[in-house]
Amino acid sequence: MPLKELFERDWQELESEGILFSSLEKLVAWGRSNSLWPATFGLACCAIEMMSATDGRNDLARFGSEVFRASPRQADVMIVAGRLSKKMAPIMRRVYDQMPDPKWVISMGACASSGGMFNNYAVVQNVDSVVPVDIFVPGCPPRPEALIFAVMQLQKKVRGEAFDQLGNQLPMVDAWTR
Amino acid sequence: MDALGGKDQVVFTVGGGATETPAMARPDPVAQLVQTLGLKAEDAAEPTALVTAGDLEAVAGKLKTAGFMLMDVVGVDYGAYVQPRPQRFSVLYNVYHPYDHRRLFLRVWLRDGESLPSLFPVWKSANYLEREVYDLMGVVFDNHPDLRKILTPDDLEGHPLRKDFPIEETPTLFRDGRFIDPPTFRAGMTGQSAGLTGWRGSLRKGGTREMEPPVMPEGGPK
Amino acid sequence: MSLKDRPPVDKQSGTLPRSQMQPDHQESTRPERVGSLTAQQGSLMHTEVMSLNVGPQHPSTHGVLRLVVDMDGEYVIKVTPHMGYLHTGFEKTFEHRTYQQGVTYAPRTDYLHSFGHELAYVLGVEKLMQAEVPERATTVRVILHELGRIHSHLVFLGTALMDLGAITLFFYCFREKEAVQDLFEEVCGYRMNQGYFRVGGLSRDIPDGWADNVQKFVDSFDKHVDEYASMFATNPIFLDRAVGVGVIPADVAIDLGLTGPNLRASGVPLDHRKANPYCGYDSYDFDVPVSQAGDSQARFVLRLDELRESAKIVRQALKRLKPGPVKDPNRKISLPPRHELETSMEAVIHHFKLVTEGFHPPLGEVYVPVETARGEVGYYIISDGGSMPYRVKIRAPSFVNLQALEYACVGGQFADLITVLATIDPVLGDVDR
Repeated sequence: MPLKELFERDWQELESEGILFSSLEKLVAWGRSNSLWPATFGLACCAIEMMSATDGRNDLARFGSEVFRASPRQADVMIVAGRLSKKMAPIMRRVYDQMPDPKWVISMGACASSGGMFNNYAVVQNVDSVVPVDIFVPGCPPRPEALIFAVMQLQKKVRGEAFDQLGNQLPMVDAWTR
Repeated sequence: MDALGGKDQVVFTVGGGATETPAMARPDPVAQLVQTLGLKAEDAAEPTALVTAGDLEAVAGKLKTAGFMLMDVVGVDYGAYVQPRPQRFSVLYNVYHPYDHRRLFLRVWLRDGESLPSLFPVWKSANYLEREVYDLMGVVFDNHPDLRKILTPDDLEGHPLRKDFPIEETPTLFRDGRFIDPPTFRAGMTGQSAGLTGWRGSLRKGGTREMEPPVMPEGGPK
Repeated sequence: MSLKDRPPVDKQSGTLPRSQMQPDHQESTRPERVGSLTAQQGSLMHTEVMSLNVGPQHPSTHGVLRLVVDMDGEYVIKVTPHMGYLHTGFEKTFEHRTYQQGVTYAPRTDYLHSFGHELAYVLGVEKLMQAEVPERATTVRVILHELGRIHSHLVFLGTALMDLGAITLFFYCFREKEAVQDLFEEVCGYRMNQGYFRVGGLSRDIPDGWADNVQKFVDSFDKHVDEYASMFATNPIFLDRAVGVGVIPADVAIDLGLTGPNLRASGVPLDHRKANPYCGYDSYDFDVPVSQAGDSQARFVLRLDELRESAKIVRQALKRLKPGPVKDPNRKISLPPRHELETSMEAVIHHFKLVTEGFHPPLGEVYVPVETARGEVGYYIISDGGSMPYRVKIRAPSFVNLQALEYACVGGQFADLITVLATIDPVLGDVDR
């Protein structure tokens, strides 16, 4: 088919011939959502379950997130796995700042999300007070399946298919301005 | 020194042997060790000997020569204890013999602000353990090569395991604006408080009857 | 600029001779060669001592350990660990929770061998309370304690060899790790951090068929251990990186306070399961693997042998599993069974008091050592008669074992530091508490 026809013919007609149309934004979001590379930020018990999520049985690779990058500069999503002590909080912020945009944060486990059972002088009570969190995963520690579900939810968010509590559609990350 | 036993020479064999004394009369190896060291044993569940801060290095040196290793250093703040104690702070040294398996706790009493000699010249393992006690309990060890904070952040003031350091629990905020303060809802009691009922539980008294395994009541659980 | 100024490196081990190493912490006793290299003014190559920061966010530090390594070229001349990045305030929190709630906290210190910490804490409180543990509960504890050791060593093998570049074994070890976690989940509903033990027994009886599943697992386990061994034990790359690396002689190991597999790899046969038997370990037939080499390879292989021994203990324990109660019958310690609550007022009162307030042990201080996958764990528990401990001090083996890092790495190459750190096998939750 000559290129000229793409602009002249009706798009429904073209779709019936197997040509898909999408906005570039959606295409980028689709690609991005299927290759969310996590930064290794294993802190405590949850880190073991995070490792388990990549093993042969759970296989996070099915969702394109198996490549745990040691360098934050190569990562898209930071999985905060475990209790965050106040001594570690500035370092986590620095790691987050080193990640390139667009970036997301999964707060894995009760300790990271709310301080969990450690309500004391040493533990940050919510990771959200240090970095903006996209997904909270409950559990102590969450099962690998829970983490995989969180990754799937994050993929929806990246693709702009997520809704807030009131049912409003959340905007997908604006790829061109960030 | 001979009674201390060396690495290769196990003096107190437990069980067996031609010169075995009756079980009741058999000397407790740790009690004998405490006697040999010239220390006063404390009446406690674990074999504990009282040491003064001045004698500590000499006693530790003797134990080290006898083949003991330093397992742990425990700092305790008795400031809120129910019974009067000689001093506010106490440091316990947990020493253990890796070959003949004798364990001894050395207890040193000290006031707030007093310091102890470091045992780093005797046992290298005292390095981190003493730093931890310094960090969390605030006991200073003289002549420690590297006495810095080890666990808490540099900007944390105070020593968290002292009884006057608050645990700093965060109140929980509910949707309707209420706060729940954790200590208000804590049912557990310290030894200081009598509680509402004065119920203290009790230890086992008399014989124990065999507990029957749980039986499902007739017609399933109600 | 000549590299001839360097001291002779032991060809076999790749490390500097022990005389050049610097076990102490004084700045002044650095090896001579540093000065001789930096003194070469005007030469083409300028060398100086360089400080390299490793961590706290680093894949090879097994958590959030931070190391500041002073390097002379590729050689490590000083290692300064900085920890506390996972300091959670366990010991302070214990003082504000009842004894029973403490069981929830104990496994979260060492999350790989969580049953070890749980057992140490529970045994301590039981000594304080003079609780009587039924035989069935003790046997189940032994099974879970050993399965926990298997779990911990499997994670060690997988991740430590991944640090050395062997990624395949990770997937094999985690396959069996998942199987162990399934067993944990079946018995107490949680894959990690179980909190299954209670003061005076277990929280509930094991489910039907669980013993058969454990039997199935341990029967096939020895085969898997052979499989792991065949994958790395004779691999020349592994041997090059592990043999003679990070040697810790026995006297140094005792001086540094090492316990567990690290101490036994140095030739000291200290195992609290044999030395101070708890849970009836003296009635089980098992060996304590001891190696004389004291190097990284010995620490690897020793843990591999411990896997087999643990499976052996589990097999013996399964044979002893007889039906019976799993809780101390003393109602002042353990909760009454559910059906009693509907008929007995006394049971309701006991239940209420135990759940809200907990039990009150007498005044006293206890310490029970337990051999976990990392070494001696003991909880020094001080009671002041209340229902919360007055003070709990955790004897954390990883924390003390980590002191060996400074000794074992100095003089070696930087890559050896990763090997040594991996084989010391610290769990940072245990280090920082």
